Order: sequence, then structure tokens, then C-alpha cells
Amino acid sequence: MVLKRYIPIGIVAFFGSLTLFGWFIDNESIEAFVNDDATQWYDIIASFAIFLGALNLLKLQFLKVVKRQSGWQYSVVAIASFFFAFTIGFFMKGAFFVGEEVYFTQGAAEQAIIASGSTETVKAVEWGAHISTEGGLFKWMFDNIFTPLSATMFALLAFYVASASYRAFRARNFEATLLLLAGIIIMLGRVPVGSLITPWMVMYLLVFVGTIFVNTYIRSRKIVFGVFVLGLVGVTLLGMNMNWSPTEPAIFFLPSLQEWIYTVPNLAGARAIMIGIGLGIIVTSLRYIFGLEKSYIGDQ
Amino acid sequence: MRFLEDMILKLGSVDRRFIFILIGLAVLIPLMRPIDLPIRTTPTTEKVYNAIEEIPANSKVLMSFDYGPSTKPEIHPMTLGVMRQVLRNGHQIYITCLWPDGLYMALDALEEINQEFELVEYEDYVLLGFRPGNEAIVKGLASDLRKVYTVDSKGTMLADIPMMEGVNNLKDFQFIFTGSAGYPGTFEWVQYGGDPTGVPLSSGTTSIQVNEVMPYVQSGQVKGILAGMPGAAEYESLINTPGIAIQGMAAQSFAHLVIVLFIVLGNLAYFITERRERKY
Amino acid sequence: MAFSTIFGAWIAAFLTLGILSYLYRDNPFYKIAEHVFVGVSAAYWAATFYWTQIYPNLFGRLFPKDGPFSFIAEVDFNHEFNILYLFPLLLGIMMLLSIFKQFNWMARWGIAYTVGIAAGLKAYGYLSSNVLSQISASAVDIFSGSLPFFNMSGDSVFNNIIILVGTVSALMYFYFSREQTGSYGKFTRLGIYFLMISFGASFGFAVMGRISLLIGRFNDLIKFSDPSYNYGTFWMLGLIVAILAYWSFKNPEKQEV
Repeated sequence: MVLKRYIPIGIVAFFGSLTLFGWFIDNESIEAFVNDDATQWYDIIASFAIFLGALNLLKLQFLKVVKRQSGWQYSVVAIASFFFAFTIGFFMKGAFFVGEEVYFTQGAAEQAIIASGSTETVKAVEWGAHISTEGGLFKWMFDNIFTPLSATMFALLAFYVASASYRAFRARNFEATLLLLAGIIIMLGRVPVGSLITPWMVMYLLVFVGTIFVNTYIRSRKIVFGVFVLGLVGVTLLGMNMNWSPTEPAIFFLPSLQEWIYTVPNLAGARAIMIGIGLGIIVTSLRYIFGLEKSYIGDQ
Repeated sequence: MRFLEDMILKLGSVDRRFIFILIGLAVLIPLMRPIDLPIRTTPTTEKVYNAIEEIPANSKVLMSFDYGPSTKPEIHPMTLGVMRQVLRNGHQIYITCLWPDGLYMALDALEEINQEFELVEYEDYVLLGFRPGNEAIVKGLASDLRKVYTVDSKGTMLADIPMMEGVNNLKDFQFIFTGSAGYPGTFEWVQYGGDPTGVPLSSGTTSIQVNEVMPYVQSGQVKGILAGMPGAAEYESLINTPGIAIQGMAAQSFAHLVIVLFIVLGNLAYFITERRERKY
Repeated sequence: MAFSTIFGAWIAAFLTLGILSYLYRDNPFYKIAEHVFVGVSAAYWAATFYWTQIYPNLFGRLFPKDGPFSFIAEVDFNHEFNILYLFPLLLGIMMLLSIFKQFNWMARWGIAYTVGIAAGLKAYGYLSSNVLSQISASAVDIFSGSLPFFNMSGDSVFNNIIILVGTVSALMYFYFSREQTGSYGKFTRLGIYFLMISFGASFGFAVMGRISLLIGRFNDLIKFSDPSYNYGTFWMLGLIVAILAYWSFKNPEKQEV
């Protein structure tokens, strides 16, 4: 009980308090510990946690293969890929320099020297630097295997966002309409095509939408048609009289309108959310430090 | 009218794979057949550009590559643009990474910039590299950089690098720029870097993060923001160096138009269905 | 172009198209690409974190040159021996041992340490930058007369009033300890409208971000379709489409009931 519960709670309370009050205590050794060593230990333990994650992954995939569960063949692929990347990361330097040229293996570098008849010698990179050497094997794996997979996983979402926009986003009430309108104005106003849509076009569109709205209440075709024509003529005459340029009136010019929405009402909502989240995090952090929150040891 | 309504309703129940194809084509065709569209800069992008222009001569600029390959299309053009503007103005660049992938993004950026500027390592730039620890790293940099980094990414001792002379913490830099894709990123740089030290800070973020960072921009804690690929395109036009962000704007524009049309069509189908159900 | 570059491009094209094939339906190509991603990313992260942190900062301080443990190993990063670093080593080893069921509890010490440090760091950071600074930024100048009344894209009295009213009303909406009725309810309703505009803008930006990522992938596929890469994209696309067509024929899609 002491090892499994009270010591972890004590560790959180001690180091949490030290880190929090370290901002306010003007003592050199405490400051040095909080700013440097405490954070280094945090990084080191986080690194071990990554190893734990990798081991857990291997364990799960191995069990799947051993128990011949559904899709076990793909687990073989996962395990093989893991060991392939692990070998490159830990057992192969993968970067041997002959002058400015980089080769994956010592043998390839030596063969290049023989083929070119050069007097250069092979220089291997240091362990540690081998993962960041341009042209090395680890970077090759990053560029051609990790990057395409990682990037494409995220890019898939573009298609699903489009599908969701079409099938799920409905203006069921005023709030949803506000959300959709803000989204549409931002989407069109922030890209170059938004500046090609003149305010005149937006105003004509508003006249059209207004006419549809009028049509739901007034059934007379003559009146509705009259409203539509009056609207169009009114906008045109107003524009000609006021000598509007292609970007006026600014309130109907999508880039200006989106800029206003983005920097004024949107900012207000975002700021409220930021302050709310900030207050929540402060309270939760204090709860962890005072031992009131024990979810990290599995307690409710 | 009835025929039109029936057609809209039919479109509303189409297989989603047709929608995927339409989006794919809306993005692919403008990329294969480039179209020039006018780029209009926004005040938030101009703030970043002006903030960098106002850096005093021969300054030290810290750039943090806090993104990975999944967000490279959005943020990489920004970091390239900032590096170009900083180097053209004669400043030195110090590169740090809070993301492990950020190191490779930095290597790619340096390789590309080197073709233009013929950079000399340890005279024009130092690649400090990646350190795990998220906000703890930023806090560490603010207090003692040499405890966080004893060597650079190649294993060279910082004490042996002439460019690192006099650089001991964040206050020794005149400007900080972070290309940020999430956590850790702009938030951590503001909370543990910019605010405690007072060093001017700017940021380029993914479009998704922009809204969260906007309050910092309005309060002045961040000097402007480059908002996603459109922000990167605006920045490229400000520094007069068109790149992949400007090239992608046509595809971005058409994709947005298609999605807006989808939303409008979807809602039209919804309203027609609602009206018919009310009648009956 | 080097063989490794061309070969790498073909692999990249294959993996990209494999992931994109999920848009058609879940299929073996997607599953293979997904499992390769799982395996490679786990090892990639482990290698990166080991060589950038554990090796220089932990072993560099426990096994420095001329240190008391230099007979075991020498890791020279110009650090001095620091016996206190046995503590994170102990916590790290305990964390690794937690993979065995009987030692599950051992991870708690390491987790507790990271939770404690993070709590201490975040409490101050969020208080200072996210709460106090944002509240002070909301207190804006509207009476001095130095600002115009209205401006579409800059500071103005009207804009500042909207920001202030919007922030306060949205914050009041989040106060659920009081019933939101009457005038209070009307004011919080206004807050909801501001939040909806904010969510709408977030939606617009989210769409923008996703499309940008797709542009990046398509740019790479277009690059790999070049003759200098031996038309890698086309070959991989042809291979995947042909095999997928045959596989779909043999495994027809189940109709949703």
C-alpha cells in the first residue's frame, strides 16, 4: 500500500509543490534544481515511457500472432517493421562519409573509394548523430516510410470532412445557422477565390435569399417578383451612385468580412474558452498537488 | 420546380465515394494545371513580417521547428519564408526543436535554403536539435540554455561553437519564431518563453490551431500569426518569393468552393425534406 | 538519381496510395500500410528519444569520462558525474518492469513524477499567460477618444465593446452553478451565439487545414510520377488498382441492412 499508493502521492505532492513554488522562491540551489535537473529527470522518465509503449506494442502484437487471432498476419508485418526500424536506429550507423558523399554501409563507401580511385578515407558518424545525418539510413527511413504514412493518415481526414459537410451539417436552428455561416465566410474569405467574389455578387445573392424568405410568407407571385426586381435595381443604383470599387462595401466583401469575424466575435468566444480552460487547468493541477486527484494511480 | 427539388434530394443520398472523388479532383486538377490567383495579405500576417523587419541589425533569432511531416505542407513554407527574411536582413539563426520530427524538418529547410544562401554552419546558423521534455525544455532554455543543450545535433560541444558565445538563455535572443503544429508549440513558447522573458515572439501554426492562438495575438503576447497554408502564401507574397504555399492556393480555393457547395446542397435537401414532411 | 532515392520514392508512393485506398473500403493494402506505420513509428520514437535524451543526459551524467563508473562505460558529453541521476534511472527501470503484470504498480512512481512536474509547471504558466494576461487584454480603451468608432480590420471602439461583451457573456455561460433564466439567461444566450461563431470559424479553419495536408500528399505523388522517379506513382497506382479490383471481385461488399 505504501509503495503502490502513498509514495506516488507523496512524489506528486513534493515535486509538484517544489516546481510550483520554484517560480516564486529566490534561492539559487532550488532554482537550479527546478529549472535544470528536475526538468532533465522529467525528460528522461518521458523517454523511458516511450520505451514502455514500444514494449507494450510488441507484447500485444506477439500475443496476437501466437494466439492466431483475426488479422494476425498483419501483426507479423507490424513486428517485422518494428525490428527493421529498431535495427536501423540502434545497431546500424547507416551514414558513412567519403568526402561529402554519404553511404548507408561501410562496404558501399569502401567500394565507392575503389571505384573512383580516390585517396579519401571512410568516416563513420558518431552514435547519436547518425539519426540526424542528412543522407543517412535513418533519415532515409524517416523520409520514405514514416513521413508518407504519417502525413497521409492526416490527409485522409480532408475527404471525411467534405463528406461530413455534405451529410451531417444542417442549419437546424439559429445557433447552427450562425456556426455554418461563420464557417462558410471564413472558408471563402481566407482563400484567394474569396477576393474574386465581389461585394455586388454577395448583395445580389442576399436579394435572392431575401426573396425566397418573402415568398414563404407572401403567396402573390407579382409581389414576390416585384420585391426581387426592386432589390436588384436598388442595389445596382446604390452602387452606381456611391461609386463603389470592386471591394466596396467592405461589409459584404468576403475577405474584409471574414477578417472582422475572425478578429472580433470569434476572438471573444476563443478568449472565453481560453480563460475557462486556463482556470480548469489551474484547479486540476492544484488538485493533483494536494493529493485530491489520484486518477494517475488508477483511483477514481 | 418539383423536378429540381427531386434532383437535389437524389444528390443528397449519393454514395460518399463520389464526394471523395470530387474532392480529390478539386485538389488534383489545379495542382496539375496551375492557376494564378491574386493573394491578398491579412493584418495578422503583416504583423509577423513587420515584426521581423523591425529586429535590430545583426540579431540572434531563435527558430523552433515544432512540427512533423504530417503538417509539413502548412508550416514548412512558413519556416522557409521566415528563414529567408531573417537571413536577407543579416541575422543569425539558432534552431531548436520540441518535436523529434522537427529535427528532420529543420534539416530539410536548411538543405533548401542552402541552395539560395550558401550558408556556413556555425557562422550563419546552429542546429541545436531536438530535446524531449515539451514545456520543460522551453523553461530550461529561459533559465540556462547550456544545461538543456551541451552539444548541438551533430555532437559538437556548444563551448566549441563561436556563434554560441554570449548565448546562455532566451534573453540573449532578439526574436523567437515558432512553427507550431500542436503540443508542444506556440502555447508553451508564450507561457514559458515569451511572457517570462519579454523576448518578441511570432508564430506560424496549422489552420486548426489558429483560433486557439488568436487571443494571444490580440493581447500582443504573440506578434502576429501565420495561419495555415493561406497564411504561408500571404507571407511568401510579402517576401516576394513564391513557393509551394502560393502554388497550392488554387487547389485550396477550389476545394473550399466545392465544400461550400456541398454544405449548401446538403442544407437545401434538408429544407426540402422538412417542408414535404410538414405538408404531409 | 541514386537507386536508394528512386526505390524510396516507390515505397513512399506505395504506402501513400495504400493509406488512400481506405477511401474505397477497408482492404489489405490499407491494413499493411497501417501496421507498417505502427511498427516503424514505435521504433523511430524509441531510437530518437534514446539518442537525444537517455544517452547524452542520463548515461552522460552516470558514466562520464573519468567518473566512478567509467569502468562500466564512458559516455563523454562534458558532464560531471551526478549521483542524483540514479533516481530517474531507477524510475525509468521501474517503468520498464511494469510491463510484467506483477510489477504493474511500478510505473506509478515515474508517472507520479511526471504528473507532479507537469502540474507545477502548468499551474503557473496557464495562470499567468492564459488567465491574467487575457483578462488584462480584455480591458480595452473605449473612452479616451484615440480610437475610431468602427473599423473592419483594426482597433475601434465598437470592436472592443463587442469583444468585451462577447468574452464576458461566453464566460458567464460556462457558470453552471446558477440557473440560466430571465435576463441572466438572455445574456448567456448571447454568449452561446459568440461561441457558435467561434466554433464555426474553427470548423472553417479545420477544413482549411485538412485540405492543405491533402495538397501536400498530392504534391508528393505528382513529384514521384516524374520520369526521373521511373513513374513510380503510376506503377504503384496500377498495381494497387489491379489487385484491389480482383480482391473486390472475390470479396463483394456486404450491403448494409
